[in-house]
Amino acid sequence: MMLDDLILLCFESARRSAVIRHPLASFFHLFFRVVAIVAYLLCDWISENFAWCFVLIITLLSFDFWSVKNVTGRLLVGLRWWNQIDEDGKSLWVFEAKKASLGNNNGTEAEARIFWLGLIICPLIWTFFFFTSLFSLKIKWLSLVVASISLQVANLYGYLRCKAVGEDGQPADIRSFSGEHLLQRPDIIFGIL
Amino acid sequence: MAAAADEASRPFAGLSDVSISEDIPVEGDISVPVGPSTRRRNDDEFSTLDEPVRETILRDLRAVGKKFIHVLYPKRSSALLRDWDLWGPLLLCVTLALLLQGGAADSDYQGGPQFAEVFVIVWFGSIIITLNSKLLGGTISFFQSLCVLGYCIMPLTAAMAVCRIVLVAGSGTVSFAVRLVVVTASFGWSTFASTAFLADSQPANRKALVVYPVFLFYFVIGWMVLTFSPSQ
Repeated sequence: MMLDDLILLCFESARRSAVIRHPLASFFHLFFRVVAIVAYLLCDWISENFAWCFVLIITLLSFDFWSVKNVTGRLLVGLRWWNQIDEDGKSLWVFEAKKASLGNNNGTEAEARIFWLGLIICPLIWTFFFFTSLFSLKIKWLSLVVASISLQVANLYGYLRCKAVGEDGQPADIRSFSGEHLLQRPDIIFGIL
Repeated sequence: MAAAADEASRPFAGLSDVSISEDIPVEGDISVPVGPSTRRRNDDEFSTLDEPVRETILRDLRAVGKKFIHVLYPKRSSALLRDWDLWGPLLLCVTLALLLQGGAADSDYQGGPQFAEVFVIVWFGSIIITLNSKLLGGTISFFQSLCVLGYCIMPLTAAMAVCRIVLVAGSGTVSFAVRLVVVTASFGWSTFASTAFLADSQPANRKALVVYPVFLFYFVIGWMVLTFSPSQ
């Protein structure tokens, strides 16, 4: 019994002092984005069928969008954002920031750095691709780049707004709503009634 | 005084004349977390990576599947609009573009539209229709409208698959007649399904103004499907 408790305590303290507490999340945060950029660069040189390259990159960036929005954001930096439709049919955007003192599963400094660097640098790279494809007049690649930029910038914008909410210095588990309505707890998914 | 007391004793009396229209099915999900308090909610829910992610994925997949079924049998249902997602439209757009692309694999100017054109037409067209609907004073939100228009492309994608199969058999007059019937039927189905969702959000005298761009949108896609011819 004592030994089990001791082992548990060791794991907990190791976890608390670890540099990276969520290795999988950190990996996947960067994985899809980087592979999409690499695929874009290599597609040019390998010159495969344009359609498959397009589908591959869009698929990778869709997975990236979903995983950054739903998983890595809340695990690495404790931020979350989503859209909700209330009973009147009005659309409501909710930005949520977790206060750092809650629990011990928050992201570390290193993870936060990975998160924000990944979130900011990749849209910049895609913007660079936008200009290179624009000036070299490869118009069909332009459609791909525009789609990629919109997917990446959407997450960047959402998380920047969450961070702005978090830095207002308000008590734990704060949210901001764009819309005049008061929101119910976000865990409740609305029924029609 | 007595009336007030009477009112107080029947707290829900004012609701006696609230009725729900018979033709709107009541559906949806309500999930309330059973946790100690709201403050620890975030930690308890997301303490492991595997379980919640798998559940999230499954829930999203189930939502997408439910929407596909709603398109197959379009009846007025607000639940479809409430949890919008764009996975279905993305999947359908990619499928349609790949099916339309097969005939022009070798050269860029034979047999069908280029791959990126399909994407641009679908997404740009959806955005324009949504803007039109919002400018006319519609109550539907931007992404909800994109969701509905995207999901209602499903009949036309199915028609494209059928046309490809028919074209394998031959490309004569009979094949053209069959394809015409299939494409017309699926075009009508798409338009009907999407207006079933979109027109309700408009005031009564504006419904035609909202419906005709949708008509045009699916007409263009149907035209692309019908005029597709495989490369020799």
